[in-house]
Amino acid sequence: MERVSLFTVNFITLFFLGISVASGQTGKLQNGSIGFVMTDLFWSVYQTPSAEECPRGFNDGPREQFEQLFPAHELLSVEETQLKQEIETWHPTTEPDGFEFLEVEGRFSWGLNLDERVDDNDFNHPDGAAGIDNEVYRAVGCIIGFRGPDGVEFIFQNKAILDRRYNRMMIELSGVDDLENDDEVTVTWYRGMDRLLTDATGQKAMAGGTQRIDYRWGQSLIRESKGKIIDSVLITEPIADLVIPWMNLSVPSIHIFKDARLHLNLSEENANGILAGFADVDTWYYQLIRNDSTHHLSNGQISGISLYKALRRLADAYPDQETGANTAISTSLDIKMTQVFISHDTAGAIASSP
Amino acid sequence: MPSGFQVVVNELEGPVFATDTGQTLYKWPLDGLRNGYSGEAPGIPACYEDVLTVTAGLMSPYPAGIKLPELDKRKSCVDLWPPVYADEEAEAIGKWTIVERRDGSKQWAYDEQPLYTSIRDMQPGDVLGGTTRSSRGDSPAYRVPISPPPMLPPGFAIKPTSIGRMLTTDLNESVYSFAADTARSAACTEECLVNWKPVSAPGLAREQGEWTLLERSPGERQWVFRGKPLYTYVLDTDSWSQEGSDIPGWDNVFTQPAPELPASFTAQLTIAGNVLADKNGRTIYRYFCGEDSQDQFNCDHPDETQVYRLAMCGAGDADKCLSYWPYVIAGEEEQSPNRTWQIKNIDPLTGLYVSADDNDALRVWTYRDRPVYLFGGDKVIGDVNGGGTGEWRGKRNGLRAFWLRDDFMGGIL
Repeated sequence: MERVSLFTVNFITLFFLGISVASGQTGKLQNGSIGFVMTDLFWSVYQTPSAEECPRGFNDGPREQFEQLFPAHELLSVEETQLKQEIETWHPTTEPDGFEFLEVEGRFSWGLNLDERVDDNDFNHPDGAAGIDNEVYRAVGCIIGFRGPDGVEFIFQNKAILDRRYNRMMIELSGVDDLENDDEVTVTWYRGMDRLLTDATGQKAMAGGTQRIDYRWGQSLIRESKGKIIDSVLITEPIADLVIPWMNLSVPSIHIFKDARLHLNLSEENANGILAGFADVDTWYYQLIRNDSTHHLSNGQISGISLYKALRRLADAYPDQETGANTAISTSLDIKMTQVFISHDTAGAIASSP
Repeated sequence: MPSGFQVVVNELEGPVFATDTGQTLYKWPLDGLRNGYSGEAPGIPACYEDVLTVTAGLMSPYPAGIKLPELDKRKSCVDLWPPVYADEEAEAIGKWTIVERRDGSKQWAYDEQPLYTSIRDMQPGDVLGGTTRSSRGDSPAYRVPISPPPMLPPGFAIKPTSIGRMLTTDLNESVYSFAADTARSAACTEECLVNWKPVSAPGLAREQGEWTLLERSPGERQWVFRGKPLYTYVLDTDSWSQEGSDIPGWDNVFTQPAPELPASFTAQLTIAGNVLADKNGRTIYRYFCGEDSQDQFNCDHPDETQVYRLAMCGAGDADKCLSYWPYVIAGEEEQSPNRTWQIKNIDPLTGLYVSADDNDALRVWTYRDRPVYLFGGDKVIGDVNGGGTGEWRGKRNGLRAFWLRDDFMGGIL
């Protein structure tokens, strides 16, 4: 039986809350700073009730593709079947695989206009804004595993954000005069070290918890950018390369977002909205397949082989200097954060060399 | 214990049962896989002379009935795992019992699990056929060495890890010792006890062997192991934690440390904990492989089929393997420090062990007689980009990082 140590979290929370009360600062915004910890993160997938955005249906996954490729598998060897597919998965190419890939065909998408242009292949935001860049959505939107509420990735990637300390990213806003309007604030990304303060179900994060900063293993994740708050919406300037640790099935892995920016609706309790930028394609793909074996992908009808080709085909930024092929793809993620008191105690950096 | 058996202490696994010639004894416990079971139900041998030819479809999504690789060389289960036969006159003693095989022959069993030796074990005391370390979900149905129960007081347990056999409570809490303590006096008192909780001994507890008792105050007794009072750390956040060892003077307690690492190896910080790395700081990986056959053969050793490894490391191309997943080359002056970490000569194209006078041989580091690797996709110190590569997150035909500290993965060491 593994230990459950919510007591530890609660103790620390009460300890720091005690300090806050003692110093006469009872609000969440203290000395111009407020912290938020990530509790939900998943790719923004615009879905209509009848899946109008996928008029030709959904993509096949590894199981369906295997049946089509090897109808008489009993006559074949492991090398000719299973390992052939695994080689295609782990050593992917842009060559066609013989299967038609069903992209999103709708006009609408969640996300942001990342390149400040309105191009023919851009989406429109449901609120009417044009020029939305979200090619990851175009690639994954017609794959069942990426669609809510019961897609395998939708469930497990998001759940891991809540459950895993490895994924405990948070932001601290400093230089804040007013949470409704402020011309300039500083936004710093850290990774926390602690379990979340939750309600009795353990599934809903509560405001008022405390997180120590992971200055040891999380040092390389620290980023800083400027932002502004307009009518309670935080808008940040792009970060050159934001690294988000994201482990959903015990394989520590990351996503890299170039020009990453936040649009978050702020309150003293929550910060919810969008994280958008250009995802490094290879990092995106290997994060998926390292955590999710072909079995897991099959449950979501996700063919890694076909998806990689789509990601590379739809990649729309950061061309490789030698080949000219784009290495990054526009994306948007739905993000939810809950207020947290961030402890700058450097005890987390003890013994920083292994 | 019946005659003909003994306990040997392996530098990695600790005490294990062995034959009188030092061959480690293994069991093959029944294991629930994705689409069925493999291994042996108690009392029922399942390892025989049959040479299996097709996959079992035990691991989704690939179906059963596909031809297994290299059938012309394929062995039977008993070729790789010789049963430990019992004489006609042999009699059961305690947990040691005798089961009948389908040909009527008698086989020793322990805890009702039929017993085998492994052809991987070449020298007395080798434990190369399997390990007591937890393989966790979706790994093959592994063979496991059998061990005598550890000499622990009630309330304690041992967790075999990559860094040693860690002493814990039976709730998987790490236990710690404090450098300033002695067997007769505790320096951790008053405020120290806010974060450090002495491991209490019940009133009926008695001292035995390396286990003694410290009476902290009248009626309050604390377990002492090898001269050090034991504590748990209140701020530990997970099972088998090493967080308490970050506090100066405090250490995790091990009943047996892991064998010494090669002197040139290093430990490096990553974003997920500490990994073992080569002299240049590059993360070291191990290859794991288990077939989807009913007999769940391993395929992670150079003497076994290389079809799986070559597919994963280089799409079937040995040259690409050497680029994407190079071996960890041993320096000319380096020597093997122990039986766990050995330097072997390997043919880089076939992946097979060869003699030292083979001109093309590479002199590589091995762990438990299997080569270890670097990953071409790791660009800077602390990168661990190759972990989880391969089938089933690297557990069945793939590579996993060699972790030395786990603060995020819940017991992966």
